[in-house]
Amino acid sequence: MSELTRSTPPVVPQPQHMPVEPVEDKVISPWKDAWRSFKKNKIALVGLSIVSVFIVIAIFADLIAPYGISEGELRDKHIAPSAEHWFGTDEFGRDILSRIIHGARVSLWVGFFSVAGSVIVGSLLGIVAGYYGRWIDGIISRIFDILLAFPSILLAIAVVSVLGPSLKNALIAIAIINIPTFGRLLRSRVLSVKEEEYITAARAIGMSDFRILIHHILPNSLAPIIVQGTLAIATAIIEAAALGFLGMGAQPPTPEWGKMLADSKDFIIQAPWTVLFPGLAIMLTVLGFNLMGDGLRDALDPRMKS
Amino acid sequence: MKKSLLTLFALMLALSLALAGCSSGGDSSKGGDDDKVDPNNVMIYGRGGDSVALDPAVVTDGESFIVTEQIYEPLVNYGKDNTDIVAGLAKKWDISEDGLTYTFELEEGVKFHDGEKFNADAVVKNFDRWAQSKDGEKFAYYGSMFGGFEGDEGHVIKDVKADGENKVVITLNKPQAPFLKNVAMSPFAIASPKSLDGDKLSKEPVGTGPFKFKSWKPNDTIVLEKNADYWVNDMPKLDGVTFKVIKDNSSRLNALTKGEIDLMDALNPSDMKKVSDNGKLQLFERPSMNVGYLGFNVEKAPFDKKEVRQAISHLIDKQAIIDNFYEGTAEPAKNPMPPSIAGYNDEIQDREYDEAKAKELLAKAGMEKGFEMDLWAMPVARPYMPNGQKVAEAIQAKLAKVNIKANIVTFEWGTYLEKVQKGEAPMFMLGWTGDNGDADNFLYTLLDKDTIDSNNYSRYANEDVHKLLVEAQTTADEAKREELYKQAQVIIHEDAPWVPLVHSKPQLAGASKIKGFVPHPTGSQSFADVSFE
Repeated sequence: MSELTRSTPPVVPQPQHMPVEPVEDKVISPWKDAWRSFKKNKIALVGLSIVSVFIVIAIFADLIAPYGISEGELRDKHIAPSAEHWFGTDEFGRDILSRIIHGARVSLWVGFFSVAGSVIVGSLLGIVAGYYGRWIDGIISRIFDILLAFPSILLAIAVVSVLGPSLKNALIAIAIINIPTFGRLLRSRVLSVKEEEYITAARAIGMSDFRILIHHILPNSLAPIIVQGTLAIATAIIEAAALGFLGMGAQPPTPEWGKMLADSKDFIIQAPWTVLFPGLAIMLTVLGFNLMGDGLRDALDPRMKS
Repeated sequence: MKKSLLTLFALMLALSLALAGCSSGGDSSKGGDDDKVDPNNVMIYGRGGDSVALDPAVVTDGESFIVTEQIYEPLVNYGKDNTDIVAGLAKKWDISEDGLTYTFELEEGVKFHDGEKFNADAVVKNFDRWAQSKDGEKFAYYGSMFGGFEGDEGHVIKDVKADGENKVVITLNKPQAPFLKNVAMSPFAIASPKSLDGDKLSKEPVGTGPFKFKSWKPNDTIVLEKNADYWVNDMPKLDGVTFKVIKDNSSRLNALTKGEIDLMDALNPSDMKKVSDNGKLQLFERPSMNVGYLGFNVEKAPFDKKEVRQAISHLIDKQAIIDNFYEGTAEPAKNPMPPSIAGYNDEIQDREYDEAKAKELLAKAGMEKGFEMDLWAMPVARPYMPNGQKVAEAIQAKLAKVNIKANIVTFEWGTYLEKVQKGEAPMFMLGWTGDNGDADNFLYTLLDKDTIDSNNYSRYANEDVHKLLVEAQTTADEAKREELYKQAQVIIHEDAPWVPLVHSKPQLAGASKIKGFVPHPTGSQSFADVSFE
């Protein structure tokens, strides 16, 4: 980050008498530039707003939700959507809207933190592998290959089976399966960046490896991480829902969307709302993150610029 | 390179031909009987799991018994829809005054599937095999029904002797009231003496029953065909029965709807309407002889306090559970045995749903602040509880109201039973289906101090209950026995080692062409008089 802010030129006061004309060669920060092109992308903005809405819902779940997550009487089973229960009630007579609102918290929490975990671990490993090369690279890259050789959901199931089914362990499992994605991304990024002249220069003036990594290489690799990270949140939410669906994620009564789907799948004909709304919630958040991720990629990737 | 590829290809071709040859050879060798079999008159029975073994004496699971019940027969049978004793391979029997000598008069002219003659010697050989078992583990059910094995102190059977060709005399060491009911149980069916000599019995069963064993593809199908020489006239009516494993309850119903199978067990209660609305299908209801319960490990704090157990009993709304998870097809339970069994104490007042009362009881036990513990729920559908996880979740919500935080945990089914048996679960969901219709098979088997580490998962030990149950076992007078069991239920109700939840009515579905099928309360029945119209 610091490198980038430093690249912003000092504000040179313009002489007052000059006509106000856009100065063509004015240097603007790449982040501002990215935001500009992002703003122009309508679809990306839709993604951003969907994500923002879900984040607000998640933060203020306790205030927004009309009922508690396990509030309800068994006799109120499967009430169709009505003024009292907008999304109807489930098999336990619980309000589905309230559970979806609280479920947003669960899904986003898993999404953000599992990706944060894989970004941190994956980037570190990737940077080390890319910068030092040789046998270190060999070992780390083979570990990535091994992790990638498993179908990701199977690997997640294996991890959860070892750790025991719970939301926290599902989060850890999802973080683990995403590590190689970020590791490889960073490694290839580092491989190209480290040949740049400014790195050679930094090394020439005697900068330590650590400082070079933190101050030069990492900031210059942020853009692809942000893009990949946003898209990975979408995948992580789906994977958490899949684990929940298989009974290996959130445990009752946690209102996890995938678990809600699994619990209601037998009533798809009888009480379609019990399946419809959790499914829609998963679809919308994932769509939101994907649209936003695509928009970010377009905005941040220099090759995409016209 | 090319040549080696060609060789490989040729080899594979040869191999596949050889394999094909094998399988067709196998078929044709059995083909001799096939021409009599009309494939349209073979019933295909869909079920959730495969049999463990086809030697009934070594198993206790229902999926094994439902097959062996077709191949073997015991000396005496249960009634068609009850557990009253009727004639089986023994057409008559006589009990001595003191209840110590049973004389069975056997059917004449009965032959085993391998052509051996069924006679008194065959019966003696079977009983000797169980009693003289050198491997007590193997015949566990014999041990628990007849007080151990030959030489054991509690062994009920003194000796089994042949009296001529068609008479068997069984002498007991002490009277056992449910003796005939025990003899009628699926595990104590008579196998061909010739088959006992080998070790193939578990895979190639030979009995006297209406159907003969043909083939078994593990985890897929067991094929039985008609026993043309069956000793009962005009039976069986079908040309064969095939047992097919389809794990998922909904897929099994799909297979039935498509006509791939003719009869299925373990219907999801929520699918009942689908079946009754379909003109080509019919519903069958198995008479209730089971109990689903919530058990406490009475050795583990805080469940070592009676008040805590009673308080939780007050927090469970059984009727709501039945309406939601059994579609109303079950009865709330208040005793550890079903009302259809003699000795049921209907005077017991069930603990009503009452939060205030529960709080008061918890306060009395010093637990008013609540506590956190694990609630175990079984991972698979059981006849007494189609969805244990959901029932557990409903209970969890109610417990939360008095600050008891229950974490629902589960394990793979085999592990679950093993761990619960070892007393690792503080609070658990389970159930039991009676095997012989006697109160002894519920109260003694599940709640006597003798059966801790076996089926007494609550580890409940009460000296008074033990005395009553043992006395009931050795009393011949039925009225007296019922009285003893009623007393035992009063003590058990007060101690509350379980919260009895429901007596379910397991649902089966079948094609509407099926006639004469009557589901038996024990869970297995002969298909001899089932027919297609």
